[in-house]
Amino acid sequence: MSYAIQVSNLKKNYGNHIVLKGLDFTILKGEIFAFLGVNGAGKTTTLECIEGLKKYDSGEIIMDGKMGIQLQSSALPAHIKPMEAVKLFSKWNNTAIDYALLKALGIEEIKNRKYLQLSTGQKRRLHLALALIGNPDIIFLDEPTAGLDVEGRLALHDQIRKLKSQGKTIVLASHDMAEVETLCDRIAILNNGNIIFCGTAKQLIDKVGRKYLIIIKTEQEEISFETDDIENSLISILEELKQKEAHLLDIKVDRGTLEQHFIELSRREA
Amino acid sequence: MEGFLYGLALQWKLDIRGKSILVTCYIVPILFTLIMGGIFTAIMPEMKSTLIQSMLVLSVSMGAYIGFPQVLIETYGSDIKKVYKANGVPIYLGLVTMFISAFVHLMISSIIIMLLDYALYEAILPDNLLHFFLGLAMFIVASLSIGSILGLIIKEQAKLTMISQLLFLPSIMLSGIMFPRDFLPAMLKNIGRIFPAPWGYQLMLNKGFSFESVWYPVILFFVGIIVCMLLLKREKSE
Repeated sequence: MSYAIQVSNLKKNYGNHIVLKGLDFTILKGEIFAFLGVNGAGKTTTLECIEGLKKYDSGEIIMDGKMGIQLQSSALPAHIKPMEAVKLFSKWNNTAIDYALLKALGIEEIKNRKYLQLSTGQKRRLHLALALIGNPDIIFLDEPTAGLDVEGRLALHDQIRKLKSQGKTIVLASHDMAEVETLCDRIAILNNGNIIFCGTAKQLIDKVGRKYLIIIKTEQEEISFETDDIENSLISILEELKQKEAHLLDIKVDRGTLEQHFIELSRREA
Repeated sequence: MEGFLYGLALQWKLDIRGKSILVTCYIVPILFTLIMGGIFTAIMPEMKSTLIQSMLVLSVSMGAYIGFPQVLIETYGSDIKKVYKANGVPIYLGLVTMFISAFVHLMISSIIIMLLDYALYEAILPDNLLHFFLGLAMFIVASLSIGSILGLIIKEQAKLTMISQLLFLPSIMLSGIMFPRDFLPAMLKNIGRIFPAPWGYQLMLNKGFSFESVWYPVILFFVGIIVCMLLLKREKSE
């Protein structure tokens, strides 16, 4: 198993305030890894320490691959045009411009507009394009879909999946649980400067230990109950309904969203 | 090098598209010259021999203290510097390209003002154009050095506008372009010498290049470089 990033005992203070209390984690090559956490949990600080944009007090960060960075709060000169920014950054990185990528991200359509005339979504796409200019192996995306409409969000998700299919490692920080649940292979939950969970969404559900909630609706009644053993519970309830000759209208199985598990785990740790 | 040259050409274009350099280096100084040049030479015909130099002191001071720092703040007072850093663009690029671009803009506007004064108000051209332009260049560089420090230290436009005016007004009033510096009390005369304006004015009047006439603008430039390097180092570590 090869690692894109290995972080051990990462600590960072802002004066007397300890932001990161000794983080240990690894990110595998080719995976989509997300940092989750409430505001002030240390997501952006963790990313910026790894990216080299912030100095950290102690610890070790080992990275295998070239980085591309899309920051949470990004800006460019008001009067610069997207293609000018692309050319400037590609010349500094000594890389050829990938016109197919620019087309895929819709930069060609807006190439002659000034930065100040772009919408939030167009700016986000431009900053993603700038992050990808140097053909990086590891891509950092900090709140990549913040401020985007549904269409823009879905388009960006497609782009992230496409990058993963090309073997890129993607590290993102997000507030959007649904986005993380849909996109990511593994999640690290930050709380008060510590990682309180690191693993897959399924492992998180198992850790929280939430039961399945089954809701069955028939013509006569609505039955709901919680269970650990979904398979046997469903078989037995369906057999029972069959014997009663009840007419089944709807059946729902819910084990909670990632958001609910995240909140539950954060509460427990607090 | 290719990246630097592209960055420089791009900055030149951005300065033209943006309003602060256009207004402070071209529109206001040229309008001022058109109006005040006529008034000055009508009231005091002997001012024809110093009109060009006087207008250039005003034009360069305005561009360097009021216009140039605003361009710097747009990058160094915002997330733009972080984006540059994240994308492998060195932090000094903005300052260096903006400095060179502003220098060229101020040179161009100076030539326009000189030609206008000559054509419209029969202003007397300098005897030695080489010395004149060398003096002008030294004055612009020294003034932009102060503007660089302002643009890197101050992070808010409102604060910058106030501090720029606090530098610009005494710089003009005490430079000798409105009335001879010999009329000033000794204290004000000495305060005036803190600014590059009186030095630039004397250099452009072709009073000769000597250690005594150039040491201060040269020192200002080197102090500017050192202070800016320290400020950029601080920006980088932030």
